[in-house]
Amino acid sequence: MYAPFELDIPTDLPGALAALANGAGETVLPIAGGTNLIVDIRARRERPDRMVGLGEVDELKGMEFGPERIAIGGRTTVSDLLRAPEIAREAPALIDAARLFGGLMVRNTGTVAGNIASGSPAADLVPPLLTLDAELTLASANATRTMALDDYYLGYKEDARTPDELITRIAWPRLPANAVNSFYKLARRKGDAITVTGVAVTLAAADGRCTRARIALCSVAPVVFRARQAEALLEGRALTPALIDEAAAEAAAAARPIDDIRASADYRRHTALALTRRLVGQAWDRLA
Amino acid sequence: MSRTESDAGARPNVQFRQVGKPLTRTDAPGKVTGRTPYAGDYVMPNTLHMRVLRADVASARLTRLDVSKARALKGVACVLTAADMPDRTSATDIPGQTGQKRLDTDQPILVKDRVRYFGEPLALIAAETRDIADHAAELIEFELEPIPGVYDPLEALKPGAALVYGADNIVAERKIRKGDIEAGFAEADLVIENTYKTPFQEHAFLEPEVGLAWVDENDVVNIRVSTQVIEHFRPIADAIGVPHNKVRVRGALVGGGFGGKEDLTVEVYLALLAKHTGRPVRLEYSREDSFVGHGKRHPFVLTYRTGVTNEGKITAMDVQMIADAGAYVFLSPYVVLYALVAAPGPYRVDNLNVFARAVATNNMYTSAFRGFGALQACAAYEQQMDEIAGTLGIDRLELRRRNFLKTGEPMSTGFVPPSAIWTEQCAEQAWAALGEPAPVQGPIRTGRGLACYQQSYGRLTFLHDTSEAWVGVEMDGTVVVRSGVTDIGAGQISALGQIAVEVLGVTLDNVVIYNSDSAVTPLAGTTTATRALYMTGNAAKQAAETLRARLVERAAREFGVEAGDVDMAFNEVFVIDRPEKTMPLVNLVRICAAEGIHRSELAIFRAPFGDFLDPETGQGQAHPDYAYGAHAVEVSVDVETGEVEVLKSIAAHDVGQCINPAAVEGQIQGGAQNGQGYALSEEMLYEEGRLVTPSFSEYLMPTAMDMPRVECIILESRSGVGPFGAKGIGEPAMTAVAPAIANAVADAIGVRVFEMPITPERVVRALQQRDAS
Amino acid sequence: MPENRTITLRINGRDEEGRFPAHRTLLEALRQLGHMEVKCGCEKGDCGACAVLVDGMAVDSCLTLAWTADGREVTTVSGLGDLDSPHPLQQAFADGGAAQCGYCIPGIIVAAKAIIDENPEPSEDDIRLGLSGNLCRCTGYTKIFEAIADAAAVMRAEGGEP
Repeated sequence: MYAPFELDIPTDLPGALAALANGAGETVLPIAGGTNLIVDIRARRERPDRMVGLGEVDELKGMEFGPERIAIGGRTTVSDLLRAPEIAREAPALIDAARLFGGLMVRNTGTVAGNIASGSPAADLVPPLLTLDAELTLASANATRTMALDDYYLGYKEDARTPDELITRIAWPRLPANAVNSFYKLARRKGDAITVTGVAVTLAAADGRCTRARIALCSVAPVVFRARQAEALLEGRALTPALIDEAAAEAAAAARPIDDIRASADYRRHTALALTRRLVGQAWDRLA
Repeated sequence: MSRTESDAGARPNVQFRQVGKPLTRTDAPGKVTGRTPYAGDYVMPNTLHMRVLRADVASARLTRLDVSKARALKGVACVLTAADMPDRTSATDIPGQTGQKRLDTDQPILVKDRVRYFGEPLALIAAETRDIADHAAELIEFELEPIPGVYDPLEALKPGAALVYGADNIVAERKIRKGDIEAGFAEADLVIENTYKTPFQEHAFLEPEVGLAWVDENDVVNIRVSTQVIEHFRPIADAIGVPHNKVRVRGALVGGGFGGKEDLTVEVYLALLAKHTGRPVRLEYSREDSFVGHGKRHPFVLTYRTGVTNEGKITAMDVQMIADAGAYVFLSPYVVLYALVAAPGPYRVDNLNVFARAVATNNMYTSAFRGFGALQACAAYEQQMDEIAGTLGIDRLELRRRNFLKTGEPMSTGFVPPSAIWTEQCAEQAWAALGEPAPVQGPIRTGRGLACYQQSYGRLTFLHDTSEAWVGVEMDGTVVVRSGVTDIGAGQISALGQIAVEVLGVTLDNVVIYNSDSAVTPLAGTTTATRALYMTGNAAKQAAETLRARLVERAAREFGVEAGDVDMAFNEVFVIDRPEKTMPLVNLVRICAAEGIHRSELAIFRAPFGDFLDPETGQGQAHPDYAYGAHAVEVSVDVETGEVEVLKSIAAHDVGQCINPAAVEGQIQGGAQNGQGYALSEEMLYEEGRLVTPSFSEYLMPTAMDMPRVECIILESRSGVGPFGAKGIGEPAMTAVAPAIANAVADAIGVRVFEMPITPERVVRALQQRDAS
Repeated sequence: MPENRTITLRINGRDEEGRFPAHRTLLEALRQLGHMEVKCGCEKGDCGACAVLVDGMAVDSCLTLAWTADGREVTTVSGLGDLDSPHPLQQAFADGGAAQCGYCIPGIIVAAKAIIDENPEPSEDDIRLGLSGNLCRCTGYTKIFEAIADAAAVMRAEGGEP
């Protein structure tokens, strides 16, 4: 690979944040798994002057399973998710996405924070995290802040992270009792493929009514997004096939897909609707 | 996952000791331990690293090319452009040893003024390191002034279309005129016409094109390269302007070929820079280079008009085929010839018109790919058979049964294949093996499909193909085979060893095969056209048999018996049924050596030689022989998303005679993957000739999660013209897979997608169109 | 220009030193050190031909910067066994006809080792999921699935790490 750059390999978080902070006039990029970044550098889409390797920053690893909340470090890999039984129980959609996330080697190195920070509209881990009401912690050498993942994306490949910040932590509340959380990845093949349409759903029910609805979609708009109007249609109601159809149509209407090499906008809209209807319907059936 | 069925009656008393056994291939241990050097793994001191700079548009005039900054970069040894070399072209002629040459088919080695396809080479760089070569490429300045191009073969045929070259864009036209087409259609109760489209396909071998070249002490340019054809030394020599005996191509075990390393790839560039710099040079294509660095499978548009009786008997068939040849000719004239010959498939069609054309466009050039035109024909004729069966309400297998070409009957060209035609047995067994259908669940429908095929093995007979092999016994009783044949992963050289040791009664661990060196191994021709086993296997068998006869004759004298009473097995020589009369082979070899009896043999095998097919009628012999078989699949289709999953994939092939069943199964299973990708997921998308899917994350071949276990049913008619009655399986393994899948999808959803790949989107659109009408 | 740095990799049990710039990938570094068994197929993490184990974890060496492997254990297919004493996976692949052109095999055997390390009795689904980042164009994967299952059985019978 021809791409002259310098590489710092800090051994702790303050070191990493300091390395990111002093980029006077330089393009400095953090690199964790590198599964997106190395590809972009090789293709000369990214031309960093300096990279900050996060591989030895152990503060960014680890998972906490509290009574109310689950938190994972930014450098948690996709394989780490798959190896955690508690994630399988508490965030099944995340497991659905993680299983079909790249191949084994990419899952072993690709990180949750990296997937979020890539800003890709096809970032598979994001719809599940959105339906879990995930919150991000962003740290720089000077400050630490938290924000809802839902507020993180500003536009196509534009996000709220400043160049000197790292996503250090991703946290979300445990699912309520009687909830279903699932993700469906539609792609042009089953193994190791970029998503054409991805839909994640969280549905909770009590007393025959939907108490919480979260619907998030990827690859059908410039950013991964929550279909809030569709969610609003469902919350507080007993779901019927007609209502589910209506919500699915709302979700599809909220999509702003494009034609690309994988599919047309029309097909994406069609499958956004079909898959939202399917996932909400299946979730409701399981809750009933 | 497989079973083998032989027709014991075909050749009684066949008792092989080595042949027909799933022995561990001779090349396997090195490959699984990482010990096998591929062409890219050889290093030499003082090597320069090369890079090819390519055009980034498909149709343009090169108005400026300034390499001065690149040349000035420290560490750059050489930058070559068209201006720096004699006005030479690189032959895109049919490769091999026959000397046949076409007109006007050659590509300039580097663009002089006109760019005809995206990725056409503009300049060659050699530098001390790959980093420097890459940096130098960024410093080359060039301007390309766009010229209107043509990107669709149907458009290219229209009057006034942009010309790729010549007076029109027609690269080749072939036809068959057989029987009385009008009378045939008059006899029909029903005429069914459909148009089918097949796509580009990338070979996607895992090893990108790579080679290392140096000039030796005899001023010979040596090229160690990943190729299917070491006999390219001739066109390489012509291209760089040296005598043929001054180029030596040494192959290596090839990391996948499938036809994509049949044409020249990196060889001429390497030879030029080795000559220019006087230093070893290495060129390894990146994956992106590889996508534009070798020809693709021809997309075809095929229109089938078939006349049938109410009973399902085909009375007439009119076929029009148009193939996209891309920007240079390469093997297009031969690909359409194969498609022409294969047009009616394994069916008896006495009234047949076929018109096949290859048309130039500014798309990537197209050339050889496993199946070579015959596969595209199969994709259409087998879908057409299902369309006919559906219209007539006849069972799909039964319709085929009523039309199968039988052993001894004349095929499309009037030629009677010399071997058995077991299509029906194959079809019945594959179909039956599907077993119980999977249940339908909600939006998930299931369907089944069958496809049968006819595929040649061996090259076109007018090419006068020959192959040589040398077999010798060493002083310690071990065996050496020498033959120029390249091994592209199918076990070509291990099969030669298995054949030689069968004849010589030696175990496989006692043989070493030296192969693919154009200077020192006997020239064996190409590893293409499903010919390696047929041609070189016959040559090795012939050499081994002659050697055996000589050894046995001497042994018989030693034992005081007739030669016919002597046998050789397990490294021993013995008199049949006389256990006391035995000696180790090594003793016999020493006797022969002491007496000056020749312990080796060089044999040449000649395929049947023929003339070109009659240009007006297409009648005559095109190939030595044909293979037949069938593929059956079961799929599920999600009617909401259009996703297709292949649940079962079952192949039944008459391979004539297995040399190594594990290798045969491997070919079949790999063919199933190639065919499944072709049918469903592999798509090369071009925008104005520019490839927009140049990576394995965009060009999607089936992964381990997409492939079912592929079941193989191997039939052995022992009727082929290869060694021991073998046919060939390299190309046949793939031919029928895609139409079987297409037929299964149509069966599942009740509507056909006439264009491959059958993407989820095309499935959804077909369903929407049906619902709308 | 950025500086080269000397790093030490423990490759197949032996320490090896090399001097590389920061942008050098582990794939390039390993091949520069003569480990030609590590194959380059795409340099994008799409094909898995370059897979190696770093501290026991399967990674695409084309996506790993060499410096980040400094001081770590790297295992290639050749570190698992050799012609005289092949690893059960290597034996099963050879005997089962699972290697054809063989170019993908160094990466596939490394991935297979990782699959079995994680689960000594992998189901067919485990094997498929574990191999989804390793492309093969020759075999259709059928014999590869069989060889991995066979090798896992041999390894269980032998008990523990061979």
